[in-house]
Amino acid sequence: MRGSLHHPEITQMRRSLTALVLLLGAPLTAFAEGDTERGRILAYTCTGCHGIPFYKNTYPTYTVPKLGGQNEGYIISALKSYRSGERQHPSMRAQANTLSDQDIADIAAYLKALGEGA
Amino acid sequence: MTKMHFTRTTSASASAKGAAMIAALFLACTASNALAGNPQRGLEKSQVCQSCHGRNGDEALQDDYPILAGQHADYLEHALRSYRDGSRQNAIMAGFAANLSDEDIADLAAWYSRQDGLKDLSFE
Repeated sequence: MRGSLHHPEITQMRRSLTALVLLLGAPLTAFAEGDTERGRILAYTCTGCHGIPFYKNTYPTYTVPKLGGQNEGYIISALKSYRSGERQHPSMRAQANTLSDQDIADIAAYLKALGEGA
Repeated sequence: MTKMHFTRTTSASASAKGAAMIAALFLACTASNALAGNPQRGLEKSQVCQSCHGRNGDEALQDDYPILAGQHADYLEHALRSYRDGSRQNAIMAGFAANLSDEDIADLAAWYSRQDGLKDLSFE
């Protein structure tokens, strides 16, 4: 019965399955391409806190983080964590709630580009 | 006699003053939760961090790991304390932060905050 594995129909089925798996996997690994110009406009709101040097968060008190040149993937994961409530910060959650995945990708692309002198 | 008495009181008041100053210093240190970190000791303690964040914190192993170089020290301290107490959840960072003392955290933050990297966000 080992020969049945090489039956043309089964071979075809295996090829289709492989193609299906590849197709389904693609969106998971694909990076939503961020638009830096759109990101620049969206990030205007961020400057209200992150654009003021040494601006302090209160309760607890610490300086709000620098974002210029931060890694794209990290900003995306941070904003999505704030949006889902997994990462807790009231004002960051409120901000992230207004952002779509595309908005987040655009902001991340812009912040990354700032480190490269954009 | 009078002279001796005088000397004794001044030395007594001097030591009282000294004690008060030590107490004030102690209070000042404990009241502020930001210990002054030692960047050199931070570098020594950062061996384990380096494998993902790079020696200077300016190169991340993966794009979803943050750049640490040039970040504000008190923010880095806040992040590490949050990982340690579980208020910020990350399976990898929780394991590392669990073993850090407040002094370790201050030293690491002192090291990474002094490196060249992140920039302020400005809007023109």
